[in-house]
Amino acid sequence: MAEVNGDTSLRLAMRGVRKAFGPVQALGGVDLEVCPGEVHALIGENGAGKSTLMKVLSGAHQADDGSMSLDGAIYSPSDPLDARSHGVAMIYQELTLAPHLSVLENIWLGREQCGLLGKMNRKAMRPAVEAALDRLEHPDIRPEKLVSELSTGARQLVEVARALVGEAKVLVMDEPTSSLSRKDTERLFAVVDRLRADGVSVIYISHFLEEVEEIADRFTVLRDGETAGSGVIGEVKLDRIIEMMVGRSLDEVFPQVPHERGEVVLRAQGVRGPHLLREASFELHAGEIFGVAGLVGAGRTELLRVLQGLAPVQGGTFDFVGKAGGAKSATGLLSEDRKEEGLALNLSLGENLTLGHLTPLLQGPWLSHVRRRAVTRQWVEELTVRCASPDQSIGDLSGGNQQKIAFARLLHAGVPVLLLDEPTRGVDVGSKVEIYRLMGKLAAQSKALFVVSSYLPELLGVCDRIAVMHRGVLGPARPVAECTEHGLLEEATRGVGENAAAPVSHTAFQRFQKEYHA
Amino acid sequence: MNELTASRPAIWLMIRPIAGPLLGLLLVLALFWFLEPDAFLSARNLRTVSVQTVIVGLGAIGMTFVIASGGIDLSIGSVIALSSVVAAAVAKAGYDPMLCAMAGVVTGATCGLINGLVIARLGVIPFIATLGMMGVARGVAKWLASEQKIDAPAGWLESIMSKAEEFRILGLPQAVWLTVLLAVVFGLVLRHTVLGAHTLAIGSNEDTARLCGVRVGRTKVWIYVLCGIFGGLAGVMTFGRLTVGDPTTAIGEELDVIAAVVIGGASLAGGEGRIAGSILGALLMAFLANGCNLTGVPNYVQEILIGVIIVAAVAVDRYRYHSMKM
Amino acid sequence: MNLHPLTLFFFLFSATVLPGCGSGEDGGNSGARSEKYEIAVIPKGTSHEFWKSVHSGARKAECELPISITWMGPSKEDDRIAQIEVVDNFISKGVDGIVISPLDDTALVPVLKEAKAEGIPVVIVDSGVNWDEYASFVATDNRQGGVVAAQHLGKLLDGKGKVIMMRYFEGSASTSKREVGFLETIAEDFPEIEVVSGNQFGGATSDECYQTAENLLINHQDIDGIFCACEPTTFGMLRALQDSDLAGKVRFVGFDATDKLLDGLRAGEIDGLVLQDPFGMGELAVKRMVDHLDGKPVDKFVDTGVNVATQENVDTDEMRALWSVDFDKWLK
Repeated sequence: MAEVNGDTSLRLAMRGVRKAFGPVQALGGVDLEVCPGEVHALIGENGAGKSTLMKVLSGAHQADDGSMSLDGAIYSPSDPLDARSHGVAMIYQELTLAPHLSVLENIWLGREQCGLLGKMNRKAMRPAVEAALDRLEHPDIRPEKLVSELSTGARQLVEVARALVGEAKVLVMDEPTSSLSRKDTERLFAVVDRLRADGVSVIYISHFLEEVEEIADRFTVLRDGETAGSGVIGEVKLDRIIEMMVGRSLDEVFPQVPHERGEVVLRAQGVRGPHLLREASFELHAGEIFGVAGLVGAGRTELLRVLQGLAPVQGGTFDFVGKAGGAKSATGLLSEDRKEEGLALNLSLGENLTLGHLTPLLQGPWLSHVRRRAVTRQWVEELTVRCASPDQSIGDLSGGNQQKIAFARLLHAGVPVLLLDEPTRGVDVGSKVEIYRLMGKLAAQSKALFVVSSYLPELLGVCDRIAVMHRGVLGPARPVAECTEHGLLEEATRGVGENAAAPVSHTAFQRFQKEYHA
Repeated sequence: MNELTASRPAIWLMIRPIAGPLLGLLLVLALFWFLEPDAFLSARNLRTVSVQTVIVGLGAIGMTFVIASGGIDLSIGSVIALSSVVAAAVAKAGYDPMLCAMAGVVTGATCGLINGLVIARLGVIPFIATLGMMGVARGVAKWLASEQKIDAPAGWLESIMSKAEEFRILGLPQAVWLTVLLAVVFGLVLRHTVLGAHTLAIGSNEDTARLCGVRVGRTKVWIYVLCGIFGGLAGVMTFGRLTVGDPTTAIGEELDVIAAVVIGGASLAGGEGRIAGSILGALLMAFLANGCNLTGVPNYVQEILIGVIIVAAVAVDRYRYHSMKM
Repeated sequence: MNLHPLTLFFFLFSATVLPGCGSGEDGGNSGARSEKYEIAVIPKGTSHEFWKSVHSGARKAECELPISITWMGPSKEDDRIAQIEVVDNFISKGVDGIVISPLDDTALVPVLKEAKAEGIPVVIVDSGVNWDEYASFVATDNRQGGVVAAQHLGKLLDGKGKVIMMRYFEGSASTSKREVGFLETIAEDFPEIEVVSGNQFGGATSDECYQTAENLLINHQDIDGIFCACEPTTFGMLRALQDSDLAGKVRFVGFDATDKLLDGLRAGEIDGLVLQDPFGMGELAVKRMVDHLDGKPVDKFVDTGVNVATQENVDTDEMRALWSVDFDKWLK
């Protein structure tokens, strides 16, 4: 194995770590080795076991089996505080700062130094905070400032500073850039570089492979709770890493169903919407899969919501033409947030599936539950949903099967235009493949699919054309053959042409706030 | 309704969702039957309790829709009072009892419409909107009645609430049959119509309903109008029972109605609710009050018991919910 | 025996409400009748002291006669429907007689008719009802109570000045009669006394009355006299007067007696309390019922009388008998 910074001893070694939750084996023997002063990427799909592994590392969970050592000594933290005292610190994916407290109060939260009667001794706490912020080369963030007054990027830095106060040897960053703008991401990477130079080991969790290539030295891939492989960044090809993640070759992951592009069904001209969406012009054809790439917060979801009629159009026009023009409801939206919006979790499969289109179930004024079951069974069979009965509560199903029901709802409604927002989020690989195949089949049936995804390999694998959304502006659509992951990412982060010069907006921050307060 | 196969599992499927309140009711029945064997289960007493359930029962039908949609209607007690006052005022003016009943129901529907519009169009949360209506309707009732009760001939409105033999049908007062009929019809509406399906969907997850094209606002308005109509009807029955329009009647009745619905298995978080359960809940509370009277147990015991039963019912609900999530 | 805990719980409570009679007094001449009369006594509410006195009187009758009484108020205080339901339930149970103080003179009529039709005689106590087939009506002549109060207040004010009268709640029959008696007597006998407010309802509870009284006093700083026609209004007004430093400065005539009101009377904050005889009312009502059940003739109306207690006479034996009921003796 490659040695980093000439240091032969390992900072952290995890060997054969197992963890089960009831009957579910979350970790089935994971090995992870991290050297001092290296940035080690931990890669894997959702549900691969990354979070569980890191919770074991940080003491939030106890491993059932396996061993851990830190700087050669046996390490078995009893709880996160214990882990902190050993120098293992976590930065979570969702920002965990209290917006109404100051930077200083947040950094010391839970470990405050108190005087008599519990009075906080701010003076005593302040030097450590300033030192940490200096170390991050951001003395501009004042300790007494309220976190709610900081930008998202600055908040992320406060998170890092919190981890640094009290000597971190191992710093775990769980998808730290998922809510950051490109500029903030670069600032963060600069910080990571500095930490690496200081000899801190950074475990960097991400599924943005491009980011990983940019920042990490080595990587370990987890799949289904096991180590699928590890290596040195740059020595292993990206395609190979993806194959490690999904456990099969790319051809198998993205099954190609032949389909033919038909007439135009949706024509959008300068559509402007609330919040982020500034301008979107495109033509969507029947029988094609149209992909929209872009960063979170670029306005992609807003575009879908405007097209679905869930958000007001504030400018421009869009028309359904051809057979979509005559349909009573032309579009169906697959929500990116299955749990909050997509499904009513305590209703049954059948109720969820038919909610968008109850007419076929009517016998006079009455809804027929017999017909509902029949319809549901039909789709369950067609989409190979694994479930006990149509009356089962949908909350009981796995993510993949839930997503299939959400899909089936659109199919049941028979809409010609399908708006799919992150269609494979939180879905296991097997279901992903089935969903990709289904998308191909639908296109073959002359449906028009408009797909938003943050997972570029997915867009490149299934779409016919791809356009990139950057800061609320939808770029030109290009045939997939002309697109590369790098090119799309470049366009998503920098924009093209005039958009590249657009001033920094606070879109990502706004989005974060929206999510935070929702 | 189409799959009424007589097999045992089908019957169990029908009973299971209301098993909790049914069991509770049977327990109460058994207890008082044991304590007061002669009077408690006599035909006469069952008749008495059935009439006593009418007003809360009618209110509970409407409230089940509101609670199933994830809302709440705190104004129903005041709406009952207002409707009874309006009905009495119309009767006093010499109009036909039918017209009085219509006036009462329309009054309730109007209150419900205002509730619905304030909630759906102005986006005021149901608790606040109906808390406002609770005060407004009560005040208007007192104002209309000049802060007095209105004495008026209730005509056949009195007789449909009467237990006298000449007014009974199959041994029960007419109003009881009306309540049963409405409970059956609206039980079917909640389970087997688009309005019902949309009500449950909104209660279960409003965003999902909107995503699926349900007109959430419009449906909510209908739901509150429905609840208002039932409040109005309960008000008309109150007038029939009291034979006076009383602006101070039914103070705190909204809590009885909500309690009946909650005991009946509805979840205040929405998405769940059964008319049959709510009626059982109303019956349970009526039998409890009746039994306490018969055995001479003081009122405070009754209040304690009802309090315990409500919390127990919701605790069971939470337990079910959590076990479902697991 | 395997008893459900709830059942035990019930027995426990049943035991507290149906104790044997007070020490020394036995259940009585058990040989006279083989079966005890079962009489339901239904007050308007259970939490006012007035009703506790009535209850005590009824208990005295129970101890002296071979009867058992069940004391049961409406589940919600002052709720007509709830009171109707209590009556309903007792008809269902088939008691021998119902003694009731109706919350409403009209609303209770159908259910009382029903009782009568079922062969259950009814004795009305305290408040009248628009129906005359009761066995007997045992009450204070309420109008007379208002008249006496007006005469007392008129004398205190030397026949001139401004007064306010705070009413009870909407539709309360007995207090309405007192209020009417008061207003009519003032108008006839004391033409120089001006009633500046006589239409404000205090509300059903002491708390509501207290608030209304506060509001009234803000609007009428310059009054000379006050009349309140029942305990909750009198108490609410007394508290409001004490708060606004008007207690003792304004001539105040109230109704009924509680410890607080009596203290007020002794302290000169209240200048007169019209006292009914609730204890006697409860006792007489139950005894009239027993007489009726035994087939003896009873008077259609029994007046239990009114008296004015003042600072001077409040602690005389005569007055003490009206306000000092030994609840511990009768209700424990």
